[in-house]
Amino acid sequence: MEQAPPRSQALQQLIAAFIGSRLNDKLDKLSPDDPKRSELNAQYQPHNWLADAARRVSQLQLVTHPQKSTHPDARGSSLFAPPDSLPSRLEIGTHCLSDFASDVVGNAAALDVYKFLKLEYQGQTLLQMLQADDADLLQALHHDNTVASQWRAAFCSITEPAGGPASHVLAKQIYWPVSPDDFPADANDDSHYHLLSILNSSALSHWLYGRIQEHRFGDAAKAARQAKRDGNNHPHGYHDYPQLAEEKKGGTKPQNISQLNSERRGSNYLLASLPPHWDSTEIRPLYQLDNTFRRFGKRQPVRTLLREFGDFLSHLKPEHNNIHIRQRRERYLAELFDELLQFGAAYSNSLSPGWTDHPDCLLPLAQQCWLDPYRAEQDADFKQQFECQDWPQQLATDFAYWLNRHLEGKGLQLAEAEFDYWRRELAQDAGWQSQLDRLQQGVPA
Amino acid sequence: MTPHRLPDINALLHIPHLRIQNANAISGPHSWGHPGPTAFTGLMTALRRKLGPELDLDMVGVGIINHHYQAQTNGDYVQRFNLSRNPLNKDGSTAAIVEEGHIHLELSLVFGLALGNTLSGASQAELDQLATRIQQTLHTLRVAGGSILPGRSRLQPRLKHLPESTEEQQGQFRQLRRWLMPGYALLARDDLLPAPAQPGEAADGSRLDAWLDQCRLNHYPVADEQGQVSWQHSRQQGQGWIVPLPVGYGALTPLYPPGSVAHCRDETTPVRFVESLYSLGEWLSPHRLTDYRQLLWYPSHDASSGVYRCHNDYHLTRAAEPAILGELA
Repeated sequence: MEQAPPRSQALQQLIAAFIGSRLNDKLDKLSPDDPKRSELNAQYQPHNWLADAARRVSQLQLVTHPQKSTHPDARGSSLFAPPDSLPSRLEIGTHCLSDFASDVVGNAAALDVYKFLKLEYQGQTLLQMLQADDADLLQALHHDNTVASQWRAAFCSITEPAGGPASHVLAKQIYWPVSPDDFPADANDDSHYHLLSILNSSALSHWLYGRIQEHRFGDAAKAARQAKRDGNNHPHGYHDYPQLAEEKKGGTKPQNISQLNSERRGSNYLLASLPPHWDSTEIRPLYQLDNTFRRFGKRQPVRTLLREFGDFLSHLKPEHNNIHIRQRRERYLAELFDELLQFGAAYSNSLSPGWTDHPDCLLPLAQQCWLDPYRAEQDADFKQQFECQDWPQQLATDFAYWLNRHLEGKGLQLAEAEFDYWRRELAQDAGWQSQLDRLQQGVPA
Repeated sequence: MTPHRLPDINALLHIPHLRIQNANAISGPHSWGHPGPTAFTGLMTALRRKLGPELDLDMVGVGIINHHYQAQTNGDYVQRFNLSRNPLNKDGSTAAIVEEGHIHLELSLVFGLALGNTLSGASQAELDQLATRIQQTLHTLRVAGGSILPGRSRLQPRLKHLPESTEEQQGQFRQLRRWLMPGYALLARDDLLPAPAQPGEAADGSRLDAWLDQCRLNHYPVADEQGQVSWQHSRQQGQGWIVPLPVGYGALTPLYPPGSVAHCRDETTPVRFVESLYSLGEWLSPHRLTDYRQLLWYPSHDASSGVYRCHNDYHLTRAAEPAILGELA
């Protein structure tokens, strides 16, 4: 027999060592006189094991998009669509991954075949070498070239779905309007649709899971959190994922979904895309209260904003006046105005018009005009005041006064100039001003 | 790739305060919370089909405004979905738990319509009638899987012709946006994502990190001149309420001819396997919007990149930040 080249011999040893260690694991579990031992010894002869593996590989599929990740009972096609097979896109998806983890679906009893194909030699997996038709590896598999080629074809088929493309009743399928020309699609024309069968990218889920685990539990993150608690400096800080959700896939048998899902014990992280929470349950007529801003200041987001704004201001010295500081101050004010307008709209849009026309309502007229503008529809006296009085200016003054006093309470000395500045800001804020303009021009239908 | 723009519309329909129970809170494979724009463009398509082909209008885009929500989750550091025990299997065994996420929503929707010749001359009274009919039809549909409950708003649905001049349009929009508060409008912020690598450049793996960076709070220390350290987080910088957003789907396979993929919903539509694509969105107080184009979402299909997604023109049309400082009122 012709001597194999050294590279081929090394590969042969690698394979033999892998099979040998699996055999030893099995043998260790048996008593020394168990009759199964000789059976196992025969089964784990490299050629026998490889022939069996080449048969069993059809029970596995290498994927990036497992179908069962949508639903454990969905039985459609799973796909192998690695990042470099996808076109560049402006959005975020699997195509953005520079390095990705392949997933495996199929019979868990055949997973040893996948471990075999993942064996690395000189930085390449056996699967990659087989796909590249590596002659030395073929020779290491079997001295008969025909057998080796058959095995190679079998192992390489691991990335192909078994059978034709299929979706499933439990898979997600949606219709997307697609126009045959440049016009918007016609919703009533059945030929103006594509049917999209949606698969989850387990490659991307796995990447996300790894990143978030590191940011939550990694040593660097722990050190940074400790530094914050101690009020110390830290080179880079840490990350928080507010309202992060964890979904468990596959219940007690995450292996049923896929190999990577099993490695994560079924855990899948979901990032939150919730809006800011505007709690309108506390909106009821403001009676026995002579200044709305007191109620406004009790709202949780407003308190947070005021606290952060106050902290920011108290760290400033009079000579600090660069563009970044001014911009940041403006943004705090803009956020306060947002809150203020939301607050005003909550009362004017949610309550019945005329709620301020009540003996218990002690609010000044300017605040009544702001919070109950539609009262003018039914109340002629009020309408006259609403249209003639300079209540927006009065309101701006009230607001500036309230804010000033509130921040003074935080140990800040605010000058008259600051007070004017805020009043001017409020009166000039685009949203605020146009809303007031509309109100003064008459009540919208 | 041609940039997408909202197709022409000539009317706006405001459906105020829908209460939706148990909408699907798992908006994509990597996100949860508010249903994404595809749920609402899908609703728009379903609504248009239900109204019937005789009606002389196209529904082009939809604006999404959230007033209130109640997520059906529990947990402190990590949210978990409240699970439901589902009916038994046919053989009497207990069904496996497949996690579902639910959320109750209070929403207003604004539809951008293209009225045909007969409707574009309709009187306001006829439009009001049509608005009521569309709202009634909408109430028979599901929104992101959730059921619509009777609303408790005193507002009526409104359908208005779009005025000719830009100035009048903006005046009309100012009036509309007051009805959308208190609440937050969902807008696209694709502009906050770094551009993809050009052919020949290195792979753009760092885009994923850049995306994730916007989806979280970053805490970092700031030292003043005396070396005194205070910690800040990214939302304090006033960049707005930025969230990850599933905007649509990207093709994983070629388009299969009708009937060639087994077990599909029909045998007459071409089929494609796709994955979810993400971008960034922003929740913004409606009074910061100046134009209906900033509010509406519309679907598109780009054959060259195999992308099916929803667009919103906010970042293309928003005015530069108004200069406030140094001017007297």
